[in-house]
Amino acid sequence: MTEMERDFRSAHAGGRDDLTPDLVQKIEERFRYDLQRSRHRRRVQRLMLNIAGVILFLILWEVAPRVVPGVNLQMFPPPSGVVGTLWDLIASGELAGHAWSSLKRAVAGFVLGSTAGILVGLLTGRLMMLRDLSDPVLHSLRSIPSIAFVPLAIVWFGLGETPKIALITWGTFFPVWVNTFIGVRDVPNIYVRSAASLGASPAGIMLQVVLPAALPFIIAGLRQATAVAFVILVAAELVGASSGLGYLISFSHLVFRVDMMFVGLMALGALGFLADTLFAASLDRIFPWYGAEAR
Amino acid sequence: MRRVARGSEAARSSSRGHVSERPDEGVVAIEHVSKLFPSTEGESTWALLDVSLSIRDGEFMCAIGPSGCGKTTLLNLIAGFIEPTRGELRFDKTPISGPAPERGVVFQEYALFPWLTAQRNVEFGLKMQGMAKAERRERANEALNLVGLADAARRYPFELSGGMRQRVAVARALVNHPRILLMDEPFAAVDALTRASLQTELLRIWEEIGITIFFITHNIEEAVYLGDRIVVMSPNPGQIQETVEVDIARPRNRSELEFGRLYAKVNGIFHRQGVSAS
Repeated sequence: MTEMERDFRSAHAGGRDDLTPDLVQKIEERFRYDLQRSRHRRRVQRLMLNIAGVILFLILWEVAPRVVPGVNLQMFPPPSGVVGTLWDLIASGELAGHAWSSLKRAVAGFVLGSTAGILVGLLTGRLMMLRDLSDPVLHSLRSIPSIAFVPLAIVWFGLGETPKIALITWGTFFPVWVNTFIGVRDVPNIYVRSAASLGASPAGIMLQVVLPAALPFIIAGLRQATAVAFVILVAAELVGASSGLGYLISFSHLVFRVDMMFVGLMALGALGFLADTLFAASLDRIFPWYGAEAR
Repeated sequence: MRRVARGSEAARSSSRGHVSERPDEGVVAIEHVSKLFPSTEGESTWALLDVSLSIRDGEFMCAIGPSGCGKTTLLNLIAGFIEPTRGELRFDKTPISGPAPERGVVFQEYALFPWLTAQRNVEFGLKMQGMAKAERRERANEALNLVGLADAARRYPFELSGGMRQRVAVARALVNHPRILLMDEPFAAVDALTRASLQTELLRIWEEIGITIFFITHNIEEAVYLGDRIVVMSPNPGQIQETVEVDIARPRNRSELEFGRLYAKVNGIFHRQGVSAS
């Protein structure tokens, strides 16, 4: 214990407490300093553990195919067998090219689908008549797995970008719509009444009250939609594409390069992780109040 | 501008035969108002049955009664959130046809928008009415100053205590310069100490800006402390049982003899109902 700390704690020793304003300020300063340090330490610790987790996973993956009897290293390549291929694909720019064309499709479809989902969700959530009119149809369409539309999309739109973007638009629309709808339907009436008594028009209430009040639900829908977008993306690329990570995987299958398949899978995992992290990070920035009620 | 607009409204409605000349009519006139609500399984109940009441300009009126007596229904009718099944409500001699900023509302659960800072919550109404940014900023600061919250302007509701939130809600209603403030058990959700200071503060604001207040409570002491008059309501069907004049000089003191006498009087009316007040 340093002398300073003994100074701070001496009140516990009994007798009268000689807590001067000067000492109070020192204690406060020390407290803030400690708080900052412990927060920093926590951040560093989390990052270290994150990295350790990845390393642990790689070690397990490296060891498992060698110790488990009957595993062919060609069929289940360990990281050491994949890293070379990974490097080749990165160096040649092939991986980036595939990732880029996948990403473009996913983003285009996601933006189109979720915009439509939010719009339709707002309307069906607020207007009883539209809700009743569209309910059976939308819910029936929603229950068809989007992947089932892949062949149809190819028949209709061929093998270019259109069928892929159309499929992702279709698939991302539903989770965003359903979540927006629920959020809008359950907006506390008291918000709407407040806004009306403060002089807001119906359009103003919709955009300035209903939309932000439903935002936590909409965001949940958008997050779900990112996952859906990847699923459909790969399904669409597996069957009819000449670029993209899904194509890379299916091409590797044809030439029997399991290591290349693994590279494709890893790239998909990394992209998905990145998308989700970006999502979470931007949330705190854009909506500081979001989730604060629950904190 | 407002006066002219209101005058022409009144003229129009009188030409429809709604209003005969009633110079002594209060700022809010409620005439033979009944409201039927659906209850469980297609049944119906009278939330209000033949209620008449006149709220005078500038008075502090409290409404008190057990749950189901229709006091919130009455407030919602004055606010324009709902329409009466029978009867008529007029605000400043004009039939009430919907919510409007001239009738500000403060709810029990605050109802602040959690996605806006205190300042932006207060500015909301002005923004919706299309006021320029600089002007509404100034008006919002004025209102926040009035409730003593100028320092909290940039905080979000989740960063404010219950009492502070309720003060922001009051500022949000007052910034529109309403003629009447409708308050639905506004201090029911805060602790006793905060409640007492909010009451004092509300009285100060009421005296300072000379507004009319319609204040719902289930607390007899609160009603006697705040009100010029107390409307005591009874349930099944919702009706006004008695209107009590609170003729105690302000500032009031809860330990005064007169205070106790009026408390006992209102309490007595409750007991005649066969329902004891909470």
